[in-house]
Amino acid sequence: MAKLDMNRRSFMRTTAGVAAASAIGWGRTARAQSDGPVRIGMIYSKQGPGAAIGEYLQRGSELAVEQVGRKVLGRPIELVWLDEPNPQVSQQNMQRLADESKVVAVVGGNYSSSALAMMSVANREKLPLILTGAAASEITGKNCSRYTFRTQATVPVQMKGLMPYVSQIGKKVYFITASYAFGQDILRSSRALLKEVGATEVGVDEVPINTSDYSSYILKIRQAKPDVIVGGLVGGDFSNFLKQWNEMGMKNKIPYAAIAVTDTDFWDVGPQASTGIYVKPWYYNNPKNTAAEKKLIEDFRKKYNEPPSDKTWSGWIGMRALLESIEAAKSTDSKAIVTHLEKWKNTDGEVPFFFRDWDHQMVRPAVIVKVKENITDKWDYFDVLKNTSETEAETAKAFGSKEEIGCNMPAL
Amino acid sequence: MLDILVSQVANGLVLGFIYVLIAVGLSITFGLLGVINFAHGAFFALGAYVAWQLFQLFGWSAVIFAPPLVGLIGMLVEVTIIRRLYGKEPLLSLIVTFALALLIEALIRYIWGADGKPFNPPPFLAGIVEFGPLLITKYRVAVLGTTIVTLLGLWAFLAWTPYGRILRAGSRDPEMVELLGINLPRVLTAVFGLGCALAAIAGVLAAPLWTVSPSMAANAVMPAFVVVAIGGLGSFRGAVVAGLAVGIVTSLTIQFMPEAAAASMYALMFAIMLLRPRGLFGERWERFE
Repeated sequence: MAKLDMNRRSFMRTTAGVAAASAIGWGRTARAQSDGPVRIGMIYSKQGPGAAIGEYLQRGSELAVEQVGRKVLGRPIELVWLDEPNPQVSQQNMQRLADESKVVAVVGGNYSSSALAMMSVANREKLPLILTGAAASEITGKNCSRYTFRTQATVPVQMKGLMPYVSQIGKKVYFITASYAFGQDILRSSRALLKEVGATEVGVDEVPINTSDYSSYILKIRQAKPDVIVGGLVGGDFSNFLKQWNEMGMKNKIPYAAIAVTDTDFWDVGPQASTGIYVKPWYYNNPKNTAAEKKLIEDFRKKYNEPPSDKTWSGWIGMRALLESIEAAKSTDSKAIVTHLEKWKNTDGEVPFFFRDWDHQMVRPAVIVKVKENITDKWDYFDVLKNTSETEAETAKAFGSKEEIGCNMPAL
Repeated sequence: MLDILVSQVANGLVLGFIYVLIAVGLSITFGLLGVINFAHGAFFALGAYVAWQLFQLFGWSAVIFAPPLVGLIGMLVEVTIIRRLYGKEPLLSLIVTFALALLIEALIRYIWGADGKPFNPPPFLAGIVEFGPLLITKYRVAVLGTTIVTLLGLWAFLAWTPYGRILRAGSRDPEMVELLGINLPRVLTAVFGLGCALAAIAGVLAAPLWTVSPSMAANAVMPAFVVVAIGGLGSFRGAVVAGLAVGIVTSLTIQFMPEAAAASMYALMFAIMLLRPRGLFGERWERFE
């Protein structure tokens, strides 16, 4: 036993060592940023369950840079891509981008927990940060920051788009959500909307993240006989659920509705197991896509021989907003970049979108999609039902008022 | 109520048996090689990926070749890397196998891409069966059958064949076994391969249920370590009993106390460790005392 005890202790020491080594990092030497290349940081997952999502985000940002000829202010752009494995390391990587790579701004952050950690560095270092994921409300709410911008709609906004659809399917709702901040946010905001849409709750399961077997949950759902399920599972957990939902013969029995999903969740499980109604920021096969978005799809297809996922779009629009704001600012000074990001507006499509200056949330309608009955294409899984809002005024209303959001934006 | 309980227990058994398969491989590798193989989960994932590849190339029947192929890869790894760890400080084998796990995951991502691979139960195993109150899918019944056959076969091999006897003797007194003129290094290579092949069988069986992605092992390895700890390191019997207990406890906790689902197996481990620090069937091993 003594031997085993020692193993355990030495194991702890080893893990601590590994963590420390990855934290120190062997970065490049610092260079001044006045007339050399403009260095921009990216923080996207390179390993673990988020690696596929990280890859699509990074490809999107990379394409935005390629589309401007890899130049901004007439100077070459240099991208530095670091990992987003967990909040601590993401925060350390953010610090490395500031200290070692001397980047002018950072695009990235898919997970709310990492994003919140990265924001503290952005604030301290006065480094503009554009978050391309991270749906937790507090990021542009009570924790909002002058240096942080976010492209993804918050959970309450997406739920407001989804719940009217859910109530059309049926009135008895069963919730199955991930048991951490994001899932709790979904549960809270959808419960708040239940009365408004005239639905009732017949059951709820808060599932620990990294659950691989859902059969027990599915048996419970079967027994509760709901009309519709509102889900809040993410990534691999969501894919596992879909696979077993189909395996247990539930696919066409009870409809599943959710927000914050991405194309890869479905590409990973294949047509046979895919089902449901979802709110997504973007879909490549949406007839309403703008000319610039069609160019993105074309360039992406040319390079990777497959269509871009919504994550690619997020990485692309985040980087594009940054590059356009640097050009408009005619400077890489962080204050100038922030000021111009606040003024940035995209007028490509029917409904213009922008970062709201008082909370830095991108105000833009999302799309509601439904998995096709018959999927014939390897990539095209969805029919686009409609946008979550159709006009600028309607969209602004959906994103909530200053009082509801509760952001007290500090001065620059 | 009864019908859902019966179904929950049955589904818990399936989950438990998958854990048992992973845990038994881990346990055998430790028992004979004295190496706690952190890369065990990577071989589980490799099993799923090789099965997917064989399925793409040759169809369903080819999938059964995945475990032996992964076993061969395991033997190669033993000869080139693991062999150097025997008799060295245990810390070293932890670090090396941990690195190996990261390396294999990265290789999988390099070869097959970071995306998951769609993989569903074969058409002839699609659908549900109902025996009275019991509801279970055909595929899970098949998983149950395959695991039981595999475990029985393994048990018979260890208990009744001359090879099994060498393995059991080698785990207790390697010097004596070598003195008797048995080529122990070659035996150890085979054992490591066997452990990896067992992990691969679990990977193949789990592939139609869980997302086939490079990091799919993460969710399977932790429960397997818990199973080994509960059952007793190196104990075959222990792994089986503990695996089934973990599966059933998990599924019943989901039914009655879903918020405690993730913690339930650790609570079980905690309780057993308090009563029997060596695990349920853990024995005194001269080599490791």
